[in-house]
Amino acid sequence: MIVGEQKSIAEIKAIIAPYKKILIMGCGTCVKTCFAGGEDEVAVLASALRLACKKDGKDIEIEEFTVERQCENEFIQEGAPAIARNEGVLSLACGAGVQAVARRFANTPVLPGVNTTFIGVLEKQGVFTEECSGCGNCGLAVFGGICPVTRCAKKLLNGPCGGSQNGKCEVNPETDCAWQLIIDRLKTLGQMDNLRIYVAPKNWQTSLSGGPRKMVREDHMI
Amino acid sequence: MTENFKPKITLFHCINAFGDADELALNDKDAFEIQTVKMACSSMVKDVFLLRAFEAGADGVIVMVCPEGQCRYIEGNIRAKKRVAWVQNLLDEIGLDGRRLFLNNMASGDNAAVNQAMDNVLKNLAEVGPNPAV
Amino acid sequence: MSEKPISRLQEILTKGEFAVTAECGPPRGANPGIVRKKGEMLNGYVDAVNVTDNQTAIVRMSSIAACAHLLHMGLEPVMQLVVRDRNRIALQSDIMGAYSLGIRNILCLSGDHQSFGSQPDALNVFDIDSMNLIRTVQTMRDDGKDMSGFELNDPPRMFIGAAANPFADPFEYRVIRLAKKIDAGADFIQTQCIYNMDRFKEWIKMAREEGLTEKVYILGGVTPLKSAGMAKFMNNKVAGMDVPDALIKRMAGVPKDKAVEEGLKICQETIAELRDIKGVHGVHIMAIEWEDIVGKIVKEAGLTPRP
Repeated sequence: MIVGEQKSIAEIKAIIAPYKKILIMGCGTCVKTCFAGGEDEVAVLASALRLACKKDGKDIEIEEFTVERQCENEFIQEGAPAIARNEGVLSLACGAGVQAVARRFANTPVLPGVNTTFIGVLEKQGVFTEECSGCGNCGLAVFGGICPVTRCAKKLLNGPCGGSQNGKCEVNPETDCAWQLIIDRLKTLGQMDNLRIYVAPKNWQTSLSGGPRKMVREDHMI
Repeated sequence: MTENFKPKITLFHCINAFGDADELALNDKDAFEIQTVKMACSSMVKDVFLLRAFEAGADGVIVMVCPEGQCRYIEGNIRAKKRVAWVQNLLDEIGLDGRRLFLNNMASGDNAAVNQAMDNVLKNLAEVGPNPAV
Repeated sequence: MSEKPISRLQEILTKGEFAVTAECGPPRGANPGIVRKKGEMLNGYVDAVNVTDNQTAIVRMSSIAACAHLLHMGLEPVMQLVVRDRNRIALQSDIMGAYSLGIRNILCLSGDHQSFGSQPDALNVFDIDSMNLIRTVQTMRDDGKDMSGFELNDPPRMFIGAAANPFADPFEYRVIRLAKKIDAGADFIQTQCIYNMDRFKEWIKMAREEGLTEKVYILGGVTPLKSAGMAKFMNNKVAGMDVPDALIKRMAGVPKDKAVEEGLKICQETIAELRDIKGVHGVHIMAIEWEDIVGKIVKEAGLTPRP
């Protein structure tokens, strides 16, 4: 799923400052799962902003509405009447959702309330970890199912750097060294020989480095 | 600080800690106004309910739960503790002051503890003053 | 590889001499005089001088420029090149530029993460890793081609170095990694500074058993300790360092004004041991910001005059 974190109250206050009537628009998929922008989070933020604005003597009307996903038009359109009633929209969706709404309602400012961070998993309750950077050319078969492009701070493909110590990364002592994990996994799988294989320089054209990507499935288009 | 500040308090309590607020032998009932909200388990205290209590005009909010290790539903009071901490932080960010929100662990029938907790609440509310977002 | 040695360092090593290299950190500014001053301190005591590349991700004068300044003084540089800040286009370009200036030795490294440095907000590159860089330099030299297969007019022919850290984890993997670097094209290896001689000997033994010491010239790294505090700091705060408790105790056991002397004694003992180890072909002295001590160390080790 996509993981994100709600922006601070201070930052959000500054973002919505120009408006007297705003809609806080939530999303029921990824950001709901990571507690950043689902229906519940919309309710809490609305309440918090009302309190904050009242305290500052600022007049504001806040409407709340959540759709299943803000990355699909069918669901975005359910928010149309609410959007029409307000001066601005504070979207708690990920960056993709914010943009999808913004371009469909070009006459209404659509603002981000969440910092979108990564593609990851719910590793255990309350803990989300980054796993994939969308490089477009998956090599997990060679690396024992652990991605060094994402989980190695230096994107090394041929083994760990000299800063790997006690299985931890030099950048953060709480972060596992991805290469230690790969070596341990390959040991378990009996595939240590993979470590001797020279991995050639990566073709980054399939990643964001080659420009924003687009996928078209003709077989699904009418 | 106005002399006649009589704080409005909303009390969320778990019915296993005590069944009815009338059971609480509170001293000095004239020092505050109190409204109570019953919950089947203290974990039912959600962030949005606490915030809405402040929106409704509360100067202080107390959450009373069973002592740790004695929750009928095992970890309900632990969840409550974490949720209260989260909202205390949020109140600080909003500028309302997290000291308006209290979590108290109460053994059923322990009136001395209840009153001690109440004294602490009143003392803190006297310091932070009335709800500025009213 | 061509018969005639590419560099003086290669010549010394192929002749079987015990090589001496040291390190020079470029200044945090544009003054070449500082580089020359360091060069003067090292001149005559070393066979080649490593010039670091924005070490610890702290912005300094570029390695290629500092190498050029040292060359002008008659010193032989080893240009350190990290993959943290430059993509393959810039790296290949710099390799050719370096060669055109007269630089003949290159050390291929990953580079410390930018979060350690003076500009942690920077976007890092890591387009290719240090293993890819070693292979690239080799391909340019031996095939005369760049990474796209283009035949270069006058390809750069470098003596290729890589780093090895016998003290990083996982230990059993470190020799596999050494083998891989040799396979990729490394001609010489400089190790992380040695304090735990037992662990270093174990590593060399494993390397010898795999036949690796026959395929590459290994230079053992040494850094003189100045104080017990420095020893503790390196052990606890610097990634990939192993300073045994016994050594820390030894440094702490002498009065503060004798600490430097003790550290230099330890350094001499380390060098003496290195000269006795089969498979070690030289010493790499890393006296960071203390370049003036190198001459004394080399003299006391009986390694002057240089051949």
